[in-house]
Amino acid sequence: MSTCIETKEVSKIFGGLTAVNAVDVVVPENIIASIIGPNGAGKTTLFNCISGYYTPEHGQIEFYGMPIQGQPTYAVATMGIARTYQNIRLFGDMTAIENIMVGQYPRFKASWVDAVLSTRRERDEEKQSIQESSRLLKFVGLEGLGDNLARNLPYGAQRRLEIARALANKPRLLLLDEPTAGMNPQETGNMTHFIRNLRDELGITILLIEHDMRVVMDISDQITVLDYGTKIAEGKPKSIQSNQKVIEAYLGPDVTSLTKKYQLRKKQRYDVKS
Amino acid sequence: MRSSAVDKGLRTGVVFGIIIVTMFLIGFTVTGAELVGKILGTPSSSPSLLFFSIFMILVGAWAGASASARPLVEVDTWKRALTTGVWAGAMSGLFSAVIGFLFGELISNKIDPRTYLPSVSPESIKMFLFNQTPLTGSLILFSMLTVSGLAAAALSFFVRNNDSVKSSKRKASESVWSVIRSQRVSNVVQNKYTRYGSLLAFAILLIILPRVWGGYWNYVLGTVGIYIILGLGINIITGWAGQLVIGYVAFFAVGAYTFALLTAPEPHHLMMNFWIALGLGVLAAGISGLLIGLPILNLRGDYLAIVTLGFAEIIRILLKSDLMTAYTAGPRGIRDIAGPTIFGKPFNSDVDFMYLIIIAVLVVTFLANRLQNSRTGKAWYAINLDETVARATGINTFASKLLALSLSAAVAGLAGVLFASRNQFTGPDDHALMVSINVLCLVIVGGIGNIPGIFLGAFVLKGLPEVLRETESYRLLIFGVLLIVMMRLRPEGFLPAKRPELEKPAVQNLPGKEG
Repeated sequence: MSTCIETKEVSKIFGGLTAVNAVDVVVPENIIASIIGPNGAGKTTLFNCISGYYTPEHGQIEFYGMPIQGQPTYAVATMGIARTYQNIRLFGDMTAIENIMVGQYPRFKASWVDAVLSTRRERDEEKQSIQESSRLLKFVGLEGLGDNLARNLPYGAQRRLEIARALANKPRLLLLDEPTAGMNPQETGNMTHFIRNLRDELGITILLIEHDMRVVMDISDQITVLDYGTKIAEGKPKSIQSNQKVIEAYLGPDVTSLTKKYQLRKKQRYDVKS
Repeated sequence: MRSSAVDKGLRTGVVFGIIIVTMFLIGFTVTGAELVGKILGTPSSSPSLLFFSIFMILVGAWAGASASARPLVEVDTWKRALTTGVWAGAMSGLFSAVIGFLFGELISNKIDPRTYLPSVSPESIKMFLFNQTPLTGSLILFSMLTVSGLAAAALSFFVRNNDSVKSSKRKASESVWSVIRSQRVSNVVQNKYTRYGSLLAFAILLIILPRVWGGYWNYVLGTVGIYIILGLGINIITGWAGQLVIGYVAFFAVGAYTFALLTAPEPHHLMMNFWIALGLGVLAAGISGLLIGLPILNLRGDYLAIVTLGFAEIIRILLKSDLMTAYTAGPRGIRDIAGPTIFGKPFNSDVDFMYLIIIAVLVVTFLANRLQNSRTGKAWYAINLDETVARATGINTFASKLLALSLSAAVAGLAGVLFASRNQFTGPDDHALMVSINVLCLVIVGGIGNIPGIFLGAFVLKGLPEVLRETESYRLLIFGVLLIVMMRLRPEGFLPAKRPELEKPAVQNLPGKEG
């Protein structure tokens, strides 16, 4: 199993604030990896470094062994890294299917001259583009809604459309920034199922930021925990759940002893009852 | 306590009263009467009292009708409609009567109001008072507006609530729609032969018309055509790619001057062939767009607008400056610019130029139409909507914007070449900032991003003022009012852009789907 994306001691500094501090993350191919951490831990900043929006001050980011840090965003996207946003950012005044067609942009070649002359390449690509977009719409469950303006779609549909747009470029790595934010339990369940499908059916490596711990523990093959820009833990969900540093980061330093006492008391009560 | 009907009537009346007073103060009452005369087909230099009365009655009727019109809070009754109408008419009448009386007294005391208000001539005051004494005149004015307000309110109430009118209206619209929707009509519309037939008819019309309607119309519509080209051009960068370029006239100037310097006997005596010079003019404008774009296209929004504004002014001032006189003929401008030739024969009559402009408009429209929903066009629109995300989906936004600006500039260059060649003259003053503003206005009013909208905008903003010569001095005022009204009522323009349907036709064309 080869490595999909690897960050080597990546640091991003804003003025005096080190938002990401020498973080190493290794994500093997075809797994679902999560990045978690309290608010302001530097999760989204790390995402922005990987997708090329920021250039990290130190360190290296390698995508299938190729260094990508400092490359412009569009070049990174063309290589096969797609992303979604914490607050949905669709092209609202375009139709749903057009959003997906924009997502396919790097995969086609027809230039403006082709468009003006309506060359064979232009026509073939246009046809292929519409066909594939329709298929993607169906895949994310938006069949028949393709000609609606993106901003008129319901919230859940917009989330899925954003993922469809990201998938349109046939990415090898998909970055999802809080894919279940603002969803009810049922929608969250569907989304979890959907993300797992992406990995299983399309073979895409997925790196996601998520606050809903049930989702994270449920679908992740690997979890990285950030706190104040530093990596404090990495591993399987089980090991993260019992990791003392992680619990402290989330609940405060004294909480471990409290938790132990609480568990002890619960056990005692349970013992008494039975 | 006043009833809400009276209240609404009074409020509308005040608005219309202020409108009438303003029209009076800027001398529009005379122009309005002239316009009525023109519409009724009696062109006369001095508008008669009859036309003035018709004009005022129309204004009063408008006040009454709009006061009594929906939206209603309470039930629409005769009483309510008439109350609002009469109060609206009376209130606007009161305003006009007071202003008329005051000015009437002024001139009867031999004070010339023109000292302070240049548009208020004694003749216009006399007409405003129907050639009567101030008191009688203002009473006539008052009663005329009141009665017309009342009548219009009654009429609009009748049209709103009369069943037979309503049902006949509905029937008419239904029958029209059923004809339009019916299979036969859609078959005819979609029929290949009908389509080619109508295209052919349109082409023949375009060939014949310029020969028929004479020099004046060729001039007016030629100007409209040039502005359509400019509108389609600025639409590429501003309408689609969403980059506000205010100094668009700069590229127009580059096209016009390149062409002029290459073909005119002075100052360089190059005397180049029209068609080669046309190509070079377009090319030069396109390259200037590329060169300007390189340093500035990383700016966003307002900054880009300001920089291009500065660029346009620099070009104009450079053309005018002593420094450049040896190369660009300075403020005098360039004379005797060549007209087109075909196989060595001159092709530069009014009619020929009209043909040339029509062909240019068709070519640019074709180009714009092909680009609009192409891969490139979608990338532009994506940049317009969210540049950051567009970049993250793999679009090289800088290159895309650069392409849009260059194409846009090249189209402006084409318009500049046609403009210079048609006038056989071009000077720095042809390239003032106002050209850019006009072009932007026509795109915004017509419908930004939409090709038919731009045609409409050009006809309304360039064609109408030429035809309605009387309104010449109010052009800027009308522009302003039109823009404000548009922004309030239809912020996307008369004909807003629509996105194409792509999924449905694709699904329908799948084999086996057809039942």
